[in-house]
Amino acid sequence: MEKILTQFANSGASEKAGLFDSLGIDWALLAFQTVAFLILLFVLRKFVYPPMMEMLVKREKDLKAADAAAKSAKENADKAEEMTAEIMRKARAQASDIVASAREEATEVVEEAAKKATAKSEALIKEAHNTIAQEIENAKKDLHNSTLELVAEATGKVLGEKIDAKKDTKLISEALEEAE
Amino acid sequence: MFRTRAAVLGKKKHNFITRLIQWTFDGLYNTVCQVIPDQKWARKVAPLCITLFFFIVAQYWLGLLPIVGPITIGEHHTPLFRGGVADLNMTFGLAIVTIVAAQIYAFKYLGFKGNLGRYFVNPLRDPIMSFVGILELVAEFSRMLGLSFRLFGNVLAGEILLAIIAYMTKFLSPVALQPFYFFELFIGGIQAYIFFMLSTVFISLGLAHHDSHEPIDEVHSSVETNKLATSDSD
Repeated sequence: MEKILTQFANSGASEKAGLFDSLGIDWALLAFQTVAFLILLFVLRKFVYPPMMEMLVKREKDLKAADAAAKSAKENADKAEEMTAEIMRKARAQASDIVASAREEATEVVEEAAKKATAKSEALIKEAHNTIAQEIENAKKDLHNSTLELVAEATGKVLGEKIDAKKDTKLISEALEEAE
Repeated sequence: MFRTRAAVLGKKKHNFITRLIQWTFDGLYNTVCQVIPDQKWARKVAPLCITLFFFIVAQYWLGLLPIVGPITIGEHHTPLFRGGVADLNMTFGLAIVTIVAAQIYAFKYLGFKGNLGRYFVNPLRDPIMSFVGILELVAEFSRMLGLSFRLFGNVLAGEILLAIIAYMTKFLSPVALQPFYFFELFIGGIQAYIFFMLSTVFISLGLAHHDSHEPIDEVHSSVETNKLATSDSD
């Protein structure tokens, strides 16, 4: 420390000393230290730096490869997304078609069922009308027969004579003839 | 450095120091590649510049050890150990190596006539550039002096600072010196990086085409680089 602090003062005191001597430059020491540095540079350059530089170059290559792979993966993902969107769009179109056709079919089925129901109900009503008409006819016949029987019975009671079927028929026929 | 090499080659496991050296190497190498766009030449130049950084930072930090400096021998109290960069011979030698290397790279890149054309231009043909060329030649020597004296001055100032603080604080110096030691560690890294950066820029100046038909952007960037190079004397 003392030498460092005093080297300029000491060298400055010497009027004969040159510029470099004044600054404390010792050419032999300078050459020795420069050579020492160059040896260090040679050793590091020969043995230490090449693998480290190779590692950096390799890492840069790996990074570029990874970057390219990432870009490729992104492109593939974009393509897959587009394909998915296309498939979804087609599926939605198909689904809407299916729904529309199902609705049409359902409407047709409902309409057909309604027609069948209407036809069946009309047939039932017709059958009911026929049945009712038949029953009315039967009832009329029954009423007519009952009336005839009652008339015959009443007539028998009035005449005092039991009218049987033959007589009844005869009387009726006569009555009818008279009426004509 | 050799331990880092072994770790890089996979022969030994990484530790904190090897990772730190590798990280620093990575950063410095990328800086060289940014300053020198030609990757082929950047690979050639990088070992010198990176070695300068590691050498200077190691010498600077070793100079902070308590055994370096105070232990003296002989009648003239010659220090037994001395921080390498605390000696002007060392810093001057490093500056000479840098400037000579810059010239060698420039001769290889531009050719003999091309490199001399940076300094010597026919005054009848282009008087202004002729004068600029002479200034460039002078600048080469001033860069050499600037490199060596900046580093030496900072190391010397750091040692003087530590000596003054130790003298002023007496018995409290073991505690009082701690922040200054950290400061010096920081300054050591900064100074090594400055030397590395300036060396890279000086070498890159010889690896650029000085063509009058170069695009405006290149002219602008070379002017910026020259500004950086000329501001090194700060």
